[in-house]
Amino acid sequence: MKDVKKRFGGAIALRGTNLSVRAGEIHALLGENGAGKSTMLKILAGVHEHDAGTITLGGAPFISGSPQASIDQGIAVIYQEPSLFLDLSLAENVFVGRQPKKGLAIDWKEAEAQARKLFKELGVELDPKRQARGLSIADQQVVEIAKALSMNASIILMDEPTAALSASEVERLMTVMRNLRAANKAVIFVSHRLDEVFAISDFITVMRDGATVSEKTISNTDLQTVIKEMVGRELTELFPKTDHPIGDVVLEVNDLTNPAYFRNVSFTVRKGEIVALAGLVGSGRSEIARSIFGVDSYETGSVKINNKPLKKNSPITAMAEKIALVPEDRRQQGLFMVAGVNRNISMESFDRLKGRIFLNFKKERALTNEWRENLSIKYVNQSDPVDRLSGGNQQKTVLAKWLATNPDLLIVDEPTRGIDVGTKAEVHKLIDKAAGEGKAILMISSELPEVLGMADRIIVMREGRQVTELSRKEATQENVIAAATTGKKGI
Amino acid sequence: MKKRTFGREASLGIILIFCIASTGFINPRFVTGDGTRDLLSATAIVALLAIGMAPVMIMRHIDLSIASTVGFSAWLVADFCAKNPSFTWWQCFVIGGAVGIAVGALNGLLVAGLRLPSLVVTLGTLYIVRGGVYVVSNSVDYNAQEMPPSLLSLGQQTFGGLLPFPFLMVIVLMVIVGWYMKYTKAGRDCYAIGSNPPAADLVGLKVFRRTFLAYIFCGFIAGIAGVFYLMRFAQVDSTAFYGQELAVVAAAVIGGIGLLGGAGTAVGVVIGALLVQTIQGALAALGVDAFWKAAINGLLLIVAIYADRVLARRTENALLAQRIKERV
Repeated sequence: MKDVKKRFGGAIALRGTNLSVRAGEIHALLGENGAGKSTMLKILAGVHEHDAGTITLGGAPFISGSPQASIDQGIAVIYQEPSLFLDLSLAENVFVGRQPKKGLAIDWKEAEAQARKLFKELGVELDPKRQARGLSIADQQVVEIAKALSMNASIILMDEPTAALSASEVERLMTVMRNLRAANKAVIFVSHRLDEVFAISDFITVMRDGATVSEKTISNTDLQTVIKEMVGRELTELFPKTDHPIGDVVLEVNDLTNPAYFRNVSFTVRKGEIVALAGLVGSGRSEIARSIFGVDSYETGSVKINNKPLKKNSPITAMAEKIALVPEDRRQQGLFMVAGVNRNISMESFDRLKGRIFLNFKKERALTNEWRENLSIKYVNQSDPVDRLSGGNQQKTVLAKWLATNPDLLIVDEPTRGIDVGTKAEVHKLIDKAAGEGKAILMISSELPEVLGMADRIIVMREGRQVTELSRKEATQENVIAAATTGKKGI
Repeated sequence: MKKRTFGREASLGIILIFCIASTGFINPRFVTGDGTRDLLSATAIVALLAIGMAPVMIMRHIDLSIASTVGFSAWLVADFCAKNPSFTWWQCFVIGGAVGIAVGALNGLLVAGLRLPSLVVTLGTLYIVRGGVYVVSNSVDYNAQEMPPSLLSLGQQTFGGLLPFPFLMVIVLMVIVGWYMKYTKAGRDCYAIGSNPPAADLVGLKVFRRTFLAYIFCGFIAGIAGVFYLMRFAQVDSTAFYGQELAVVAAAVIGGIGLLGGAGTAVGVVIGALLVQTIQGALAALGVDAFWKAAINGLLLIVAIYADRVLARRTENALLAQRIKERV
């Protein structure tokens, strides 16, 4: 791709981007949110058309403008959120639109056999006859990759493939990527997890503000350089955790059990303390958070807040007891996407903001401005729908909504998923500041550096059970991973 | 997925047999040859329409205009026959089919081309087409003497003493549509489109073409059903088949077509239509007041949706449990 340009209305998404990828290469495309990576991928996928510049594939000009054309040219895309057909079988998902035929009819046996073979090649045992509904995100990606292989794609694009994966699943995906490289495919992937990028890629292209700023082989660059190139400034501290005095127990969870998700979970969180729940995706961490907050129920055990038993299954009580939950999926669970920034921030603080009966707009405006400054949320008008903000600003808005309630206990579930390095550091700073103000913080995170960098104590979960608890001093990458994947306490 | 649809059809079939058997136990006439013939004849039109609508609903759309199309087609065919006494049965089908295709094409253009919501579009065409019948009919009715004898006698034919011609056509159509939806790319595309519309775009499926053709097919079947209406009732006025679209939707939903698309089969739909009709017939055979008919229909629909939800939730939990087990 040479000097590719793209604008959406008045907004310039790409202002001159270069990207060259060779067969048999794993190519990382990096940049902060809004740098234009997704737009690049979408142009290659045929979802958008570029306005200017040239794209060539193996010497021939790229025919743009339709997903089908891109597929025909050997480009397969694995989107951040897998787009499977949940009602259909896995075999059908792999071969959708290109089912093998025998005479006039589709040969389902053949499709199933081929799908089974592809899954095996990818090292994952999946039943091609089962429905896609109920698959984990990692397995859904495997199906998508099998689809790409079955199309015999020569270029495979992956948009943040690891964002929702746990460590062992990431490892599995990397193996698959290396196999693809060995099969002489070109793999382009977008990721915010730089450790992974350095672990696997051969070549790194960095974008900033819609333009390519650097194209280097892996041996010619390093983490610090890449971060500098991405943000255009030096980021010295990714995790600005500071020490705070730790006070009384705020949250006490005792022997909590919900057989479908977790068993016999007990821990405490103190004032000013950040406790992390680490573990693989699906190890029951989010479910524990949801049970504490009362969105989900639990069978046995108890939760105490400020030494008072907390009623189960009642978010309203939880909120009255000053618990706040920032959920993992901000778009679905955290925000009202079409409502304004102001309305989202004031949502849970209505009682404080109302006049006699109705919402007092002046107070709402003041509150929004206050949090805009505190969190440096970027928006044009207060009433802009949050839909229009970037992922990082959306995340800050959810945080603002809950911080505005001045909670004693703040539960944050994957607080920095899918947001860029700069904003990530800001979010970390905010969490640290909240702890400094004496709030108790329970953080769920699949990003090990985040867990290690932020938490005072780390509780490692595996398959719904508490494996071990590590202090900040004890915890290392190795022992957390070992506990989360093997269930063993030491290495 | 296979297993689940099989389960759905099998359980519907069992409920159907149970209904027939228990009614027959109380009123033996219900399970005689006459009773069976009556049941099948009475079901044929709704079953036909439900099969026609199946692809549309599988694609997460709906067509509410079908009952109006049946009325329009029936009246126009009768009108042609009255003015051309030499007409025979096959010309009726040509005219009826053409009327249906025209309405289907209009729906298809509005839903697939302009991407308007199908519920609203076809509610609009429901009124437009019915309005069309009122205007062209100008309160003229037609009776048996204006209709081609070949058509009426075709409607009276039975096969093996049990199977009336209209229901034979239902079975033929069920087999064709069932096969087509399962074994052709176009058929599978319908399931994919209904299951996840944005993803269907991304994998390059021809969403416009499939949606458009599904509406044409649905309209075509409705037009043909208009001719079957004449066969059965030998009489037509401007209110023919008024308000019956919901009976068709009910049969389809009871037969396992989810309103969220992506699931359902032609066989299930036919069993659904039979079940609705059997319960109606059973109520009559058991001497239940006809006023209860609509209310019981509605109840049946809600029970069906509820059963579907319970089933879906159970499948989901089973899959989740399997995942937990696989991980251990």
